Amino acid sequence: MASLANKPDLIVNGKRIDGRDFDELRPIKIEAGMLKNADGSAYVEWGNNKILAGVYGPKEVFPRHMADPAKAIIKCRYTMAPFSSLAEHGRTGPNRRAIEISKVTKEVFENVVMLNEFPNSEIDIFIEVLQGDGGTRAAGITAASVALANAGIYMRDLVYAVSAGRIEDKIVLDFNMIEDNYSEADMPIAVAPRNNEILLLQMDGGLTREQLKQAIGMVLEAGKKISAMQKEALNENYRKVAEQYGQK
Amino acid sequence: MREIVVPGEAVADRPVRMHNTYIDGGKTYAATVGLFDREHNEIIPLEGGWVPHIEDVVVGIVKTSKNSVYEIDLSYFKRSILIASKFERHPLKVGEAIEASIKDIEDRKTIILYRERVLNGGTMMEVKASKVPRIIGKNSTMVNQISELTGASITVGRNGIVWLRGGNVELAAEAILKIENEAHIKGLTERIRMMLEDRTRKGE
Repeated sequence: MASLANKPDLIVNGKRIDGRDFDELRPIKIEAGMLKNADGSAYVEWGNNKILAGVYGPKEVFPRHMADPAKAIIKCRYTMAPFSSLAEHGRTGPNRRAIEISKVTKEVFENVVMLNEFPNSEIDIFIEVLQGDGGTRAAGITAASVALANAGIYMRDLVYAVSAGRIEDKIVLDFNMIEDNYSEADMPIAVAPRNNEILLLQMDGGLTREQLKQAIGMVLEAGKKISAMQKEALNENYRKVAEQYGQK
Repeated sequence: MREIVVPGEAVADRPVRMHNTYIDGGKTYAATVGLFDREHNEIIPLEGGWVPHIEDVVVGIVKTSKNSVYEIDLSYFKRSILIASKFERHPLKVGEAIEASIKDIEDRKTIILYRERVLNGGTMMEVKASKVPRIIGKNSTMVNQISELTGASITVGRNGIVWLRGGNVELAAEAILKIENEAHIKGLTERIRMMLEDRTRKGE
């Protein structure tokens, strides 16, 4: 695991350990609506991350006493599959880390889903990490947001998330697992792109004020690409059918 | 001209009252995935479940019957009940299919139905509730066309349950599934008519 004794060189000749530039994202592939039994679903491949998100709802609140007559409640479950990372993850189901990520993800979506449209109901978000390679919570939020849109749940915005951080004195975007373990600071950020509202900001390590500004600027720049991919994923299903008839 | 919009996409630079949108800072934004029609200023949702409204026509099955109060299964998570009228001549039986309208939604919890009609025999199928408006069509043109060409009597519930009986039920069901799949492509009515005419001619 991460210790200073066996720390690899994270930056070689101005390139990162996997050959990327400092502000370069890993290759991303997003697909929407491929789970037929869920109300909404999305699959994201983000570098070596492979993440499935499924959404159910609005449906009956369980347990009943949690029901809110004025608005819907959101439940979120993030889990890593036992085979998802290098070291075995033990039995399936949420652990301490997963519970934390579930909570912050839930709070991200409480800010964008129009909860008062669905009184007395519940919206369930399930994020399953099939293969993890750093930045799974960011990729999970990106996937869940596409899945919510695919379920037709009213939202103010299509959220994306990506991590940024610091390796020595360089600000770097979208950490993979090795960079995540050995970097000086790691900061996942979730953004609502319409007015660039920041909905999640967690930080492990330290950044100066200027470095923080630079990191957020990098995230907002990369977010344009992620947003475009999310939109593309949602449009694709409809375009496929339309193409049969030679229409746009 | 129609284009696909996603949540958060601006659809107007001024505040416009429109279904499936919200207004923020003097602009109008889409709140769901849908087709935006610039001429008619409306968003037709492509995804999403049914949100009950008063006067919606629904199709369901009688689940329980007690003291002239029937509980109806609309395959929706909220409880829906039908109170028998004072002059009821033939009480409903458990397991019967009915068509009814929504009278009221009490405490945002219980759907109250009225104007029930028993649907005898027939077949039921479930479709996406977001596609129901297209299955019905403008002034019921689409559903009338299907029943005319297949000879089936069709009742479409806003809750996404369709009831069919008589005539060529299989063909009618196929047409409905085709609408569900291709609701967002222009010239739908024409395409469905061609498909139905084509198939009925082959059958003869």
